[in-house]
Amino acid sequence: MSWQPVVTAMLPEHLLLLGIVLLLVLEIASDKPRGALVVSLLIVGAATAAATWLYVTGYAAAPFPGHYSVNASGSLAKAVVLALAVPVLLLARDDFPEGPFYPLFLSSLYGFCLLLSSDSFLTLFLGLELMSLPVYVLVLLAFGRPESPEAALKYLVLGGTATAMFLMGVSLLYGGSATLALSSFAGALGSHDIMAIAAIVLIVLAFFLKAAIVPFHAWAPDAYEGASLPVTAYMATIIKAGVLLAALRLFGTAPVSGSMVDLLAILPLVSIVWGNLTAMRQRSFRRMIAYSSIAHAGYLFYAFLGAGPGRFQAVVFYLIAYGVMNILAFASIPPGDDDAKRDRLDHLQGLFHRNPYAAVMIGIAMLSLAGIPPFPGFVAKFLIFKNVIAAGYTTYAVLGLVGSYLGIYFYLRVIQVMFINPESASATRVGTGRLALAASVICLIPAILLSVFPNWVFVRF
Amino acid sequence: MADADLLNLVLFLPLAGIALLVAVPTGHDRQVRGLSFWVMVVQFVLTAWLYVRFDAQVAGLQFETRLPWIPDWGVYYQIGLDGYNVLLVLLTAFLGPLVVAGAFTAVTKDVKLFYAMVFLIQFAMLGAFVAQDLFLFYLFWETMMIPMFLIIGIWGGERRLYATYKFVLYTAFGSILMLAAVIYLVYSLQTTTGVTSFAFADLYRAKLPLHVQTLLLAAFGLSFAIKVPIVPLHTWLPDAHVEAPTTGSVILAGVLLKMGTYGFMKLGFPLFPDATRAFTPLIMTLAVVSIVYGACLALVQNDIKKIIAYSSISHLGYVMLGLASLDLLGIQGAVIQMVSHGLTAAGLFLIVGMIYERCHTRDLAAYGGIARLLPVYSLFFMLLTLASIGLPTTSGFTGEFLVLLGAFTASWPQYQQGNALPLVLSVVAVSGVVLGALYMLRLAQHFLFGAVKAPHAPLTDLDLREKLILAAIVVAVFALGLFPDEPMQKTELAAKQFQQLVTTPRLPGSKP
Repeated sequence: MSWQPVVTAMLPEHLLLLGIVLLLVLEIASDKPRGALVVSLLIVGAATAAATWLYVTGYAAAPFPGHYSVNASGSLAKAVVLALAVPVLLLARDDFPEGPFYPLFLSSLYGFCLLLSSDSFLTLFLGLELMSLPVYVLVLLAFGRPESPEAALKYLVLGGTATAMFLMGVSLLYGGSATLALSSFAGALGSHDIMAIAAIVLIVLAFFLKAAIVPFHAWAPDAYEGASLPVTAYMATIIKAGVLLAALRLFGTAPVSGSMVDLLAILPLVSIVWGNLTAMRQRSFRRMIAYSSIAHAGYLFYAFLGAGPGRFQAVVFYLIAYGVMNILAFASIPPGDDDAKRDRLDHLQGLFHRNPYAAVMIGIAMLSLAGIPPFPGFVAKFLIFKNVIAAGYTTYAVLGLVGSYLGIYFYLRVIQVMFINPESASATRVGTGRLALAASVICLIPAILLSVFPNWVFVRF
Repeated sequence: MADADLLNLVLFLPLAGIALLVAVPTGHDRQVRGLSFWVMVVQFVLTAWLYVRFDAQVAGLQFETRLPWIPDWGVYYQIGLDGYNVLLVLLTAFLGPLVVAGAFTAVTKDVKLFYAMVFLIQFAMLGAFVAQDLFLFYLFWETMMIPMFLIIGIWGGERRLYATYKFVLYTAFGSILMLAAVIYLVYSLQTTTGVTSFAFADLYRAKLPLHVQTLLLAAFGLSFAIKVPIVPLHTWLPDAHVEAPTTGSVILAGVLLKMGTYGFMKLGFPLFPDATRAFTPLIMTLAVVSIVYGACLALVQNDIKKIIAYSSISHLGYVMLGLASLDLLGIQGAVIQMVSHGLTAAGLFLIVGMIYERCHTRDLAAYGGIARLLPVYSLFFMLLTLASIGLPTTSGFTGEFLVLLGAFTASWPQYQQGNALPLVLSVVAVSGVVLGALYMLRLAQHFLFGAVKAPHAPLTDLDLREKLILAAIVVAVFALGLFPDEPMQKTELAAKQFQQLVTTPRLPGSKP
């Protein structure tokens, strides 16, 4: 095992590790450490550049054969999501000027990169857990609400349940196939052996829990509301992307059939309907986003009904469009007195008159999440349902579309609050902070590019 | 510049308008109004030029642009003018400056946002008319919803929130089912012929079994029927029209309603010919019900805007009747009626808006003898009323007459073969003309004549801006009514193509 492919193939991960070490050294070396944000931004930027370089040169290698390998499309996925982490970091400065947020954040990103390149259940598990464990702490960290500890505990316990289910499923698979390779999952998909079926179901349900699919969704609203804004943005976009991409890695291009179809269609369908219906009643912005993200997880798992390269395209495009728009929305929320007040929908009342740019940005994000043209969310939903119909599940597609229709109301309500409702008497003009502005621009440009040139993503996956 | 580029310029000019509006600093409302007006005028001039250059003898698309957009899916950015949309595009561009000018005194808050929304909806409407690719069409179709949501929601009347949510949620429901149908249609084309394409020209060649055609026609038809609107899917219209600001009502009645009929003409019926022919009796019945029921409802209203709103339902019933007749003159009459209704409804809403700005009430009982107070206003009011009724020499007469002629021509042979329903329906439809005269003249009588009463008297008569706007519409109405030959020639080949597409069976196994 020569060291050269290990260094090159894992370059993004090594850079992140370097960042973690640097941050810890900074923390230890001085009384009042400063510069954590700058170091993190530089490191994440460097990791993104490294992943892009790996993609552009088409570098493919397996430094740890059977466990970890790198190829072009995996590197591209890493580059895209690491780039998404940059605006999240920009948003973090207000809540986390210094402190353990940054090493935890980088560790979580490390886990994400790891799971994208995993070939065996060992590395997949390592990556999943490394991605999720820091987030349990991050939810608690800013302690902006009295409910934060409860939210973190709920997330921890239920996340632990997911881990347990996942491990049980993996061990059943190992028992049946005598190998830890990820390909045994796709092989077990078509099998009728009870042990294989049980393994598949356990693993899929573990992913459902991590992605907040009904009926395993109960942790999400509390966790999203209890966490501070940048952590919620991170959970809603990158963590969800990690879970879905891990599931994508497991399923590969294998078609699903038989009762697997019902598992992959019915629970996500219920999530779509339930998530959209309950989001209508929320008065807290983050809680509303949590319920709507339950629905979005439903759409994403729907994409697994399609087969072949269409599945990759649909999931990846949707994750990018959804991630970019969510962060755009979070970046544009104006600052407020305290976390609870800032989170309320009333805080956005008449925002168009106070800060037109922020109102338009949040409006664009809401419309894209609702799936209304001409925003990228529409193309993303179109792609998913196109694949489902092409696979032959027209009824499920129609039901899913009607479920997505239920989501239009609460997204429009946000627009109504911002544009139509008059601002309260005490409201003042608020400018957008420089970092928030930078974050929103970083998200807006890819969004426009995605809606005008969606082909760019399609030809690369 | 090549004509095809000119069409692209016409389409994207409103977006350039939005960019220019964003550049104007806040508070300079006069500049905003001027800028919006001149951009719309430029768009109209360019469109008129394209209309003049449109060759009536050429079948198929003119000024076409076809660029690959998502080649893997067979989605192309394909736009062009043909006999189906040339008149409607001209109508949209014609109403643009009038809509902008009509709002000069009515809209005083958030003026920049207002004109940005007007530009956005103009872009979406033009795009939906000129799109020749189903994905592109659907994109523009859906984009129309949100500017309308804001126009009604921000600048509308008392119950604007209720009206705008009703409008959006009602329309969106139809669109969602249409999306499923669009995907399924393209997928069916792919599996039966191997062609992956969203282009209309390719989709017209799809061969689908009858039950599939019926389901897809129902999905497309639901969406279009909500837009037209056809009874019983019309309940969003009175609320939306009444609560919308004048400009919103003009855009809604002038152009947006035509989207539904255009959708039927370009997509719904030609894409599923066998299902259309099987359900022609139902379509004709619904059309005639719309004509008569809409007219009866208009007869009993006391809100001026509601009278005009219900009259829209009635007039567009004629369009559906003309399309369902599958007779060449009937189809052309339907197109003329679309344009005519666009002009007269726009004019009526504008003129009602003008009195509303002065008196702040829409209650018919509050007005009387306006002819003595505002003579110039009343002249225009009467002219537009007569145009709406369909007095000969106005465009309304041409449209309604041709539609009824087409309906009778199509129903007579069927009567001779023993099927009396179309003939009965056509006779009932004629009663719509009488009812139309009834409710409009009732409006005119209560409003213009009788004892003089008006809130906020003394009232000022029309100023120059208002006179020019109304004069433009009246001139257009009479031009179309007195010289319909030239527009009809431009639409003739498209009408023939429509007739041929709908009457040729296209089931699997039939000859291509």
